[in-house]
Amino acid sequence: MLKILLPTIMLIPTTWLSPAKQLWTTTLAYSLIIAFASLAWFNSPTETGWSCMNMYMATDPLSTPLLALTCWLLPLMILASQNHTSSEPAGRQRMYITLLTSLQIFLILAFSATEVIMFYIMFEATLIPTLIIITRWGNQTERLNAGTYFLFYTLAGSLPLLVALLLLQNSTGTLSLLTLQYAPAMELSSYADKFWWAGCLLAFLVKMPLYGAHLWLPKAHVEAPIAGSMILAAVLLKLGGYGMMRMMTMLEPLTKELSYPFIIFALWGVIMTGSICLRQTDLKSLIAYSSVSHMGLVAAGILIQTPWGFAGALILMIAHGLTSSALFCLANTNYERTHSRTMILARGLQMVLPLMAAWWFIASLANLALPPLPNLMGELMIITSLFNWSWWTLTLTGAGTLITAGYSLYMFLMTQRGPIPTHMMALHPTHSREHLLIILHLLPLILLILKPELIWGWSA
Amino acid sequence: MNPYILSILLFGLGLGTMTTFASSHWLLAWMGLEINTLAIIPLMAQHHHPRAVEAATKYFLAQAAAAAMLLFASTTNAWLTGQWDIQQMTHPFPITMITLALALKVGLAPLHAWLPEVLQGLDLTTGLILSTWQKLAPFSLLLQMQTSNSTMLILLGLASTLVGGWGGLDQTQLRKILAYSSIAHLGWMILVMQFSPSLSLLALMTYFIMTFSAFLVFKLNKATNINSLASSWAKMPVITSLTPLILLSLGGLPPLTGFLPKWLILQELTKQALPLTATLAALTALLSLYFYLRLCYAMTLTMSPNNLVGTAPWRLPSFQLTLPLATTTTMTILLLPLAPAAMTLMTI
Repeated sequence: MLKILLPTIMLIPTTWLSPAKQLWTTTLAYSLIIAFASLAWFNSPTETGWSCMNMYMATDPLSTPLLALTCWLLPLMILASQNHTSSEPAGRQRMYITLLTSLQIFLILAFSATEVIMFYIMFEATLIPTLIIITRWGNQTERLNAGTYFLFYTLAGSLPLLVALLLLQNSTGTLSLLTLQYAPAMELSSYADKFWWAGCLLAFLVKMPLYGAHLWLPKAHVEAPIAGSMILAAVLLKLGGYGMMRMMTMLEPLTKELSYPFIIFALWGVIMTGSICLRQTDLKSLIAYSSVSHMGLVAAGILIQTPWGFAGALILMIAHGLTSSALFCLANTNYERTHSRTMILARGLQMVLPLMAAWWFIASLANLALPPLPNLMGELMIITSLFNWSWWTLTLTGAGTLITAGYSLYMFLMTQRGPIPTHMMALHPTHSREHLLIILHLLPLILLILKPELIWGWSA
Repeated sequence: MNPYILSILLFGLGLGTMTTFASSHWLLAWMGLEINTLAIIPLMAQHHHPRAVEAATKYFLAQAAAAAMLLFASTTNAWLTGQWDIQQMTHPFPITMITLALALKVGLAPLHAWLPEVLQGLDLTTGLILSTWQKLAPFSLLLQMQTSNSTMLILLGLASTLVGGWGGLDQTQLRKILAYSSIAHLGWMILVMQFSPSLSLLALMTYFIMTFSAFLVFKLNKATNINSLASSWAKMPVITSLTPLILLSLGGLPPLTGFLPKWLILQELTKQALPLTATLAALTALLSLYFYLRLCYAMTLTMSPNNLVGTAPWRLPSFQLTLPLATTTTMTILLLPLAPAAMTLMTI
């Protein structure tokens, strides 16, 4: 565990002490080595228990895919940020990489935490670097509003979580995940316990986000620079899903009835945000709402509390992380050339950048959950487990799948096909760095078709 | 100011607080508080600026009223119980009155109205003394009384966190923002005082460290309102990049030090079966966080335009002492992992 954490911490002095000319190559190589080393976590001898343990951290089949995704994402973020920070002084570039690395450290500590309060502190700790990345390096004035929404929505949900966790500690005596999941079910019968249940889940539902509390997400994703959007979409949303999956076992008999409105919100959110995507003019905003849509399915899958639901949720989280991050990178390649996110201003790119069009194609197909990609696997498992719970959910999830296919194809056709606008005369050809970036997103996604056992959690 | 006079006044400040610390008799405690008030009044008015004199007058009136109430309450206690011992208070009526008197002394809501205006009229150094040193003596008295009046303390606490958050939202003057921050933090301290005085003391000490850093940063920038903070990125870039962490620590965000007292206080409140109070207090902290965040935005996260001359003042030597700032800033940001050690040190 420390084999990954300590090198990540040491990446910060490396950033500040590298010569300016070698800054990006050094940090990229370093973080790639850490990323490859983190793949060793998948080789855990125990299939349902904890491995790689020390006193405060451990991995299990639920956290391992998320940890590997987190570690994989740092070199990708460094690759993506190289261009737009190239005009800044070296000190600011180093600060940017330091913020990305500190985010990485907090995320590793969060996903591997064995005690829930440590998870909570690291969950909150990720807010500060993300806030600084969004508000300091974002490009428009709306970024300040975005940072405020991001911080306050998350905190308003997570402060009741802190009180709920402290109450849990009072009644069970411990908050260690190693033992808490085997603790006897608590006597949860009073009215106040229902508020406690809501307090436990609200923070994660806001983070995921659930449809009613999702307003921070389009703002934050759109205003963030590319690395910010990548880490937000790929990993920070999954903190919510991961937290929910950990807390579910303790919330036992109440969830059967109390989860009803939240499942409905989640499924309705799939439809609503999907429909909003069909009317978007801002490319990043479209991808952001698509994230809300997919995470709505994940939320519903977790709240259902069946093995297929959990497995589907985890698979969809990983697959969506890679896909959404890839889409944001692709949108950023557009933005760096035209300095606009408006879709109709950058059309017909297949004529101009054909290989990039291939990546757009694969990423859009992944977004609409084409078989045999893991996106479909996750979605199908969640839809099936929801159908098992109630036949009527099929209307919502089926329509959701249809609308997802609709807006993904709309995004692809809008950006790649059609007439090239007459004002786009001198676009840079695609850099190798950009090709590498997208391949590093899509290749793991395609390879996961061959071994989905890695990402389906305990239901092996 | 004449160095002899200054040293006499500073010694007076120390004497007053120490007298109150050392006292077990209410009259001696009252004497210490009065010596404190008398010593700081000339310090406040030293610049002879009308606003400073106004601040000194308001401070004197509030503190004198509080001290008179304290004297009256302790006399009543002597009448009712026959003794003047601070730690042996049993009758609820004097206890309530003394608590309210000390709340007025320290600036807890709803007795807080004097604090923003007094702090606004002072320069940053005297304001720092007012926010930190002057709280010690009344606090020692509050900690020693075994209060049985739990509802009033909780109401004082919640009202203070609420007023501290709400009142600061409209401010552009930094000293008023720090005054409302002080009110909010004092609210947290009062909330837990009856359950765990050591946690109250921990909250006080962490508040001292954080507010010390904040005051020093503003003093270095010679900034008194939000707009004047906006030019600090050109003058002192490293301090500018660290100040958001100081401000977010004041707001109580993990993993910074400011989270430590809030976490432990929430834990104590939930153990005492007050989860609703805990949730309310936690949510009111969000109000304060909003204006700390606004300061972060103005200072660091946006780069305000500056002319060419204004971008290079760092080339001019400055003789401010930054060692205290460095120490307290480090402590403001990094002390959370020392939580177990902090808890064992705070044993009353």
